[in-house]
Amino acid sequence: MITATRVLYDIGWGILHYIIFYPPVYQFVIIPGLVAALVVVIFIIWFERKAAARVQMRYGPLEISPRTGGAPQLIADLVRYMMQEIIVPSAVDFMSYILAPNMSMILSLLPMVAVPMTSIPSYWPIPMSYSLLIAVALSTLSPIFVVMMSWASNSKFSVLGGLRESFIVVAYELIAVISLLSVVPLLHTFDLVTIVDYQFSGRWLGLLNPLALLDAFIAVLMSTSGFPFEIPDSESELVAGPYTEYSGLLYGLNMGGAYIRRWAFSVLIALVFLGGWAPYRPEPGIVLGYLVPSLIVVVKAVIIMAIMSFLRAVYGRYRLDQALSLAWEVLIPIAIAAFGLSVFEAFIGVHP
Amino acid sequence: MPARPSLKRVPRATFLGRAIAGNLGALIVGVKYFIDPNRITLLYPHEYIKLRQGYRGYIVLIFDKCISCASCARICPARAMKMVTMEVKDKKLNRAMKKKYPVINYNRCIFCGYCVDVCPTEALYHVPYHDLVYLNMQDMILNVEEFQKEPEFVTAKEGVPVTYVFDEKRGLVKVSVEESSNQGSSSQPAGGGGSS
Ligand code: SF4
Ligand code: SF4
Repeated sequence: MITATRVLYDIGWGILHYIIFYPPVYQFVIIPGLVAALVVVIFIIWFERKAAARVQMRYGPLEISPRTGGAPQLIADLVRYMMQEIIVPSAVDFMSYILAPNMSMILSLLPMVAVPMTSIPSYWPIPMSYSLLIAVALSTLSPIFVVMMSWASNSKFSVLGGLRESFIVVAYELIAVISLLSVVPLLHTFDLVTIVDYQFSGRWLGLLNPLALLDAFIAVLMSTSGFPFEIPDSESELVAGPYTEYSGLLYGLNMGGAYIRRWAFSVLIALVFLGGWAPYRPEPGIVLGYLVPSLIVVVKAVIIMAIMSFLRAVYGRYRLDQALSLAWEVLIPIAIAAFGLSVFEAFIGVHP
Repeated sequence: MPARPSLKRVPRATFLGRAIAGNLGALIVGVKYFIDPNRITLLYPHEYIKLRQGYRGYIVLIFDKCISCASCARICPARAMKMVTMEVKDKKLNRAMKKKYPVINYNRCIFCGYCVDVCPTEALYHVPYHDLVYLNMQDMILNVEEFQKEPEFVTAKEGVPVTYVFDEKRGLVKVSVEESSNQGSSSQPAGGGGSS
């Protein structure tokens, strides 16, 4: 009997340790991957509505469970999206029409495989020496599928929306890449773990290089069509941008995809500029060395996302030309200035 | 909405002034309202606006006061009010006779109140609410019996009456009717009332 329970325990521990806590699986599926992303997205959309409502003298969702401030509203929306019929117009390119939203959703989560959640090497999903570069590169993949969606829809409204999207994509990718990589000359490394370790000294890179933080922040807002850059799918002028022909759960995927992209970028910003798991030093053990630091990163990323959602209440939407001129004329010079600031700081010896 | 609008000068002449002062100003206003929201939306079925005396709502006929002069029907600009002939028993003469009484068609009525104003014997009066629902158009044409009953105000059964008062600092604020009457005056409550 003792041996039987022992074997069962071993199997259970093995499943826990080698499947659920196996770093690539854990990272991609649980925290900060799919499960955490879905929970965060549901919370953030609710928060976005409530914050905008508070500022704009409204109430926000309240009809379902008024005592909790209408928090189950998003679950209800999710159920509604799942129940809705998916109407596929006959003129569309079927395969790419169906595949593009799914691919976009998956690819928006892909940067997660390159971010470390702890400084203990056995819990890294991939070798870390070029992780920042890999994460930034992977994060620029999913917009391709938004453009593909618009093309596959075979509708002029969708194509217009996709065109607007691609304008924005070309503008923000440069900003995001330059500003995220501007920490590299300061620390002489692409390794996210080293970058986080450096910030244990209390000198967060967001404080050392606020220009880069600001720039990365705005680039993320642009990339995920958050306010004030909700240009590609501005529902009041264009029908729904690249997603005009989509309905039901496929449309829900598109809407969630933008938020998940924002989530991936927020995790990246939390690691690079806000110290990652900084006040806490990971200790050996799965819970202390893996779960706790990842929760700290999640909390920081959620705060970043909450600030982004709050901006929705304050700003109106930019026109396309305004957003583009802001990107090319203001943000890219700022990004280059941030890069220069890093070089300067490295020169005067802030570098460890 | 302050009572006397005062222009605020923000340094917005230069580009940097516009970018920094403008954005900061917007963010500060946003944070202010995020922390201390002033929500004026009416949650309609759960709350309703308690309208003041004299509001031109639905119209009710007091049958005994009406002298069949037809002024109301004649003045009605929308032709919502018509006179219909009824057999009534005259009390003085003690015999049956035909008289005319007004009826109303709410499909047409614009709630101008001319009929109430013009009535020489004050046989018509307004009730201070107007948010009623009819199931079909036919129901909106009342006959003399229906015209004498005050329509049922269903919202008042489950809703809380609220009213909007003007506050010097916060602009319009929504308070429940009891609170506003506690503050003492009906038409111009002075300040306070920070609940939302
Ligand atoms: S309120 Fe005006 S429109 Fe309505 S019945 Fe009276 S006079 Fe006619
Ligand atoms: S104006 Fe007054 S008294 Fe004359 S018919 Fe109309 S309701 Fe009767």
